[in-house]
Amino acid sequence: MDCNTTDFAGYPELDLEHIQRTMIDTSTFHYQPTDHEAEKASNSYVMSMIAIMGGLPLPIINLIATFFFYLGNRKGTFFVRWHCTQALLSQLFLIPFNSTGFWWTVSIIFTPETISSKYIAYIITLFIFNLIEFIGTIYTAIVTRKGRHVEWWVIGGLTNIICKA
Amino acid sequence: MKKILTELVVTMVVIFAVWLGLSQLDWMKLFNIRQNTQNTEEKIGDLFWKMLKNTETEITSDSIVAPVDSILTRICSANSIDRKKIKLHLLRKDEINAFALPGNHLVVLSGLIAACENEAELYGVIGHELAHMEKNHVMNKLVKEVGLSVLISMSTGNGNSEAIKSAIRKISSSTYDRKLETEADLTAVDYLEKTGINPEPFASFLYRLADQTKNLPSQIYWISSHPESKERAEKIIEQIKGNDFPKAEAKDSLRFERLKAKIKERLDE
Repeated sequence: MDCNTTDFAGYPELDLEHIQRTMIDTSTFHYQPTDHEAEKASNSYVMSMIAIMGGLPLPIINLIATFFFYLGNRKGTFFVRWHCTQALLSQLFLIPFNSTGFWWTVSIIFTPETISSKYIAYIITLFIFNLIEFIGTIYTAIVTRKGRHVEWWVIGGLTNIICKA
Repeated sequence: MKKILTELVVTMVVIFAVWLGLSQLDWMKLFNIRQNTQNTEEKIGDLFWKMLKNTETEITSDSIVAPVDSILTRICSANSIDRKKIKLHLLRKDEINAFALPGNHLVVLSGLIAACENEAELYGVIGHELAHMEKNHVMNKLVKEVGLSVLISMSTGNGNSEAIKSAIRKISSSTYDRKLETEADLTAVDYLEKTGINPEPFASFLYRLADQTKNLPSQIYWISSHPESKERAEKIIEQIKGNDFPKAEAKDSLRFERLKAKIKERLDE
């Protein structure tokens, strides 16, 4: 789920390429998707982004929104299906972490559980990884809109297993 | 597949390492959270006590306050609890009740002292309320029943007197949940054991008042706000089974008898 942004002004070219190779693999798909396909694939990430903004602090809403988008496009072309699946898996990956944070917060408000440094550290960690995912999602939405294929660290490999041509 | 698993493990390790690394920092101190929470709690507690003081009669006579104070001090010193932070107040009222307010205010009504048959029973009740304070039950109950926003507005001086009275009613005569009551009971037993006081009279007190509640339900607030008393008494007995405790000293019993006599005088006035 780790990813990087496309433009780190001032960073050496080599570093950017290295990060791209390891965290987000931007490569050409085995066929050239049409403009319509690229738009739909990109929309799956846009959908997931809007869901993140609208769904906070209830992490399950992001998943449900992305799941319905996935259902709507599961009979689409391979490029669209593949990216809908990657968007859905990216949400699924964060769900256990976000849910833990959510219920931990609820327990602090409604039970004798008290706020602690461990809790604050967890929320900051959540924020960092959600931010990385958010930036990755924006980047992927832009790149797939151009018809280029993007595979995420961990999630891309899982998507390849689930999504067959 | 191996590549995915490796990537997954690396990701998980990175996430946990970041969490663990960030946990090493004292965020509570960094964000001043403990101090802010304490200030809010103290403001609310002072506000509640001020309201109570204006509506009830406080007992300030040294001959009554000193024996109760010495019980509290003895429990605190035996259990490494800072005695200075606890503000003890005695009120002249025939209700059998004692309760903890936010900001470490401990309120004991004279009716409760009069209802105790011996000093160990009073030790038990004070230990129980002390446990509610130490385990942060008081603020949790208030947040749950009154709401965080109302409490914050009270602490900033925007609470109306009706809301404050209602919050005091809730904290003094409504129930803590069963789990918290059991935790406070068992913590009180622990406090008593460390103080060298037999917790059995505390269990007897619960048992006796549970029976009396049937006849005088409106007077026995401490029991009506502490349900399942018989069951709780049994749990205490179970907890201390087989333990030996020193017998109460004659001078302590005498001092308690004198305290009760003075309390009765006040109640009859």
